[in-house]
Amino acid sequence: MNAVAQILPRYVPLLLLAMAWEVVTRTGLVPTAALPPLDTVAAAWLDLAVGGDLWSNGVASISRGAAGLGLAICLGSLIGVLMAWYKPVRIAVNPTVQFFYPMPKSALIPVMVLWLGFGDASKVATIFIGCLLPITLSAFNGALGTEQVLIWSARSLGASRWRVLWEVVFPSALPELLSGIRTALALSFVLLVASELIVARRGLGYMIGWLGDGGAYDAMFAVVLTVALLGFLADRLYLMLTRRILAWRE
Amino acid sequence: MSSTAHIVIDRVSHEYRPARRRPVLALDDVSLAVGDREFLALLGPSGCGKSTLLYLVGGFLPVEEGTIQVEGRPVDGPGPDRGIVFQHFALFPWKTVIQNVLYGLEKKGLPREERLRVAHEFIELVGLAGFEDSYPAQLSGGMKQRAAIARTLTIDPSILLMDEPFGALDAQTRSLMQAELLRIWQRSRKTVIFVTHDVHEAVFLAERIAVMSARPGRIKEIVDARVDRHDPEVQRTPQFLEMVDHVWNLVRAEAIQAQRSGAA
Amino acid sequence: MSELDTPLLARSAPSSFRFDAALVSVGRRAGAIASLLALLVAWEAASRSGIVTPFLLPPLSAVLNRVAEDAMSGELALNLGQTLYRAIAGFAIAGAAGVVIGILMTRRPWVRWFFDPIVSVGFPMPKIAFLPIFMLWLGLYDVSKISMAVFNAIFPVIAATMAAAEGVDRHLLWSARSLGANERQLLREIILPAALPQILTGLQVALPISMIVMIVTEMLMGGQGLGGAMIAASRFADSPGVFAGIVEIAVAGLCLVKGIAVLRRHLLAWHQEAQEPTTV
Repeated sequence: MNAVAQILPRYVPLLLLAMAWEVVTRTGLVPTAALPPLDTVAAAWLDLAVGGDLWSNGVASISRGAAGLGLAICLGSLIGVLMAWYKPVRIAVNPTVQFFYPMPKSALIPVMVLWLGFGDASKVATIFIGCLLPITLSAFNGALGTEQVLIWSARSLGASRWRVLWEVVFPSALPELLSGIRTALALSFVLLVASELIVARRGLGYMIGWLGDGGAYDAMFAVVLTVALLGFLADRLYLMLTRRILAWRE
Repeated sequence: MSSTAHIVIDRVSHEYRPARRRPVLALDDVSLAVGDREFLALLGPSGCGKSTLLYLVGGFLPVEEGTIQVEGRPVDGPGPDRGIVFQHFALFPWKTVIQNVLYGLEKKGLPREERLRVAHEFIELVGLAGFEDSYPAQLSGGMKQRAAIARTLTIDPSILLMDEPFGALDAQTRSLMQAELLRIWQRSRKTVIFVTHDVHEAVFLAERIAVMSARPGRIKEIVDARVDRHDPEVQRTPQFLEMVDHVWNLVRAEAIQAQRSGAA
Repeated sequence: MSELDTPLLARSAPSSFRFDAALVSVGRRAGAIASLLALLVAWEAASRSGIVTPFLLPPLSAVLNRVAEDAMSGELALNLGQTLYRAIAGFAIAGAAGVVIGILMTRRPWVRWFFDPIVSVGFPMPKIAFLPIFMLWLGLYDVSKISMAVFNAIFPVIAATMAAAEGVDRHLLWSARSLGANERQLLREIILPAALPQILTGLQVALPISMIVMIVTEMLMGGQGLGGAMIAASRFADSPGVFAGIVEIAVAGLCLVKGIAVLRRHLLAWHQEAQEPTTV
């Protein structure tokens, strides 16, 4: 109760914006064709939720995002740490990483469609490849920052090289890696929604495009807000998780 | 010096090759023998290569010229026979005090009960009882260094390498920790190489002091510094102050030279 | 690196060593180029040997050929110009507005009260989902594309500016005040320069976002631009066209990111980071 009372005043401006939205549409200041009133958007959301469309498409989107991001996290952190630990790996991989890292990732979408078609695979691959490099680089930079004295301490306490990699280098890389993953999480939503808007047969992004094309703007707004909220919640959950993992940093 | 030499450093030179910079001769033809259970201080101005020498003995840096032998065997990589304590503690920040102290014991493959018993024993010894579950970030500098010392002592190394271990502490804590270290050393009697640039600290702690010259590091003189450490007032005796004065004069010229070359 | 290196690093290196260092850096660069070349050769070989069909991966030579054709016909300049113009315009507006809002948020409590929840909710939101709404409101042309880029790119700038302006060392502010600086001078002469490194970091995040968003809007709204050309090629199953597009976009992205890094180095010539060799 107390926490709610504390947080609520902070979000008053958002409430005011929502009220302004309702007022300008109700009074006819803004045509409802351009901005459906908030309450009709809410009603449309309920319809979609009851009808099940929102769930089936939501599950499709979230599982695509999770699969792509999950793969990128596994492979990216592995490559990044190995790049920092083994010079040959760095020499072989780093130039490619540095060259492709600044590429606007959304350009991958048509290529993946060409390779994998309109289904799940092309979205998962877009997200996977798009998120791979930011995660790799953050793991690499984090692992490079490992303090020499920690490695030496572990070695003098009897740890083997492999154990040092797992027990010292990886945890040292963790703060930077986790912040890289946060960036990748945001990117995964952008790539997911964009690829579903452009070509798809399922998913929340597809729903937005399809509802908009059909002129069902109240429903379209409902799905847009749902996606925005999902992204926000995913970020907040991730932050909570990060704080737990990094509790040792005070 | 004690009867048997525990560590023999013979004609060791070492060159640093920092990336994209000129290589620097850090140690030049250093020879030194450290007796069994001896407390030796390596004293010199900053950048004289005293830490480098310590890292070579520890096996962290490769010996490229000359030889270093520990108990008659050449040093080849780090090992649990030589425990090290660093200036900035080098505690694993993601592990609690007890997890840090347990780390070396886990590598030894002791049974769990035994590990916990030993860990608690050493945490008690360094006066950290009650802080077992704190993370290093929650401890003061002095407490961190106590934890680091406990972690090193648990694996019962015959040699203790200390790299300016109290350099990052405030003056009061430092003098408390010095007394504490002496107490621990008198109990467990290990061979200690203690790197410092604090003359007072070296005279107070060490049996012998190896004074090093400014870069490239050489052994300039070895001073016998047997003061009566059981006397709580020893640091005020004329004998002690004379010793400090003598060693300080040896170091001063080197410190001035180090500053000049550092500014160049 | 251990601490004992610090005094060593502070010493100046004689000329003979500079030469060695230059050789080493040439060696590293050669290694980097070799590894990229290997990748390109592997691409060419894979599609020529028939391991993958030319439709899925047209040979590099064919793709480069296509890029050259686009360049000759003027198509490339047109599309590239459109994309860069819109992406940079969006980035510039987001940058300027973001810095102003960020600074105001630290100086005026009511601005902070209003924008704080908007930024904290808006920053992590996938704003790309609002694209159809922007199309609905602003049409399919430059205004809606640039607005979309601004909407996406402004949040990191606001957040970085605010954090930077808040984080200015108070001893610095106290020194300036005691030396007689007034509010306006404080802002211009102390807060902005002190916050500049972090603000630039925010801008360095915002520029790629603006580019990513621009490519998506072009893909979705059509019209000229690299994204539009790429999606058109993909509709016609013109795979060399798709790959030519990704090559062009990758190079454009690389140039923008390098460009802003150079700008950073110039603006921060006074800053410590400019004195240190960049590692990664």
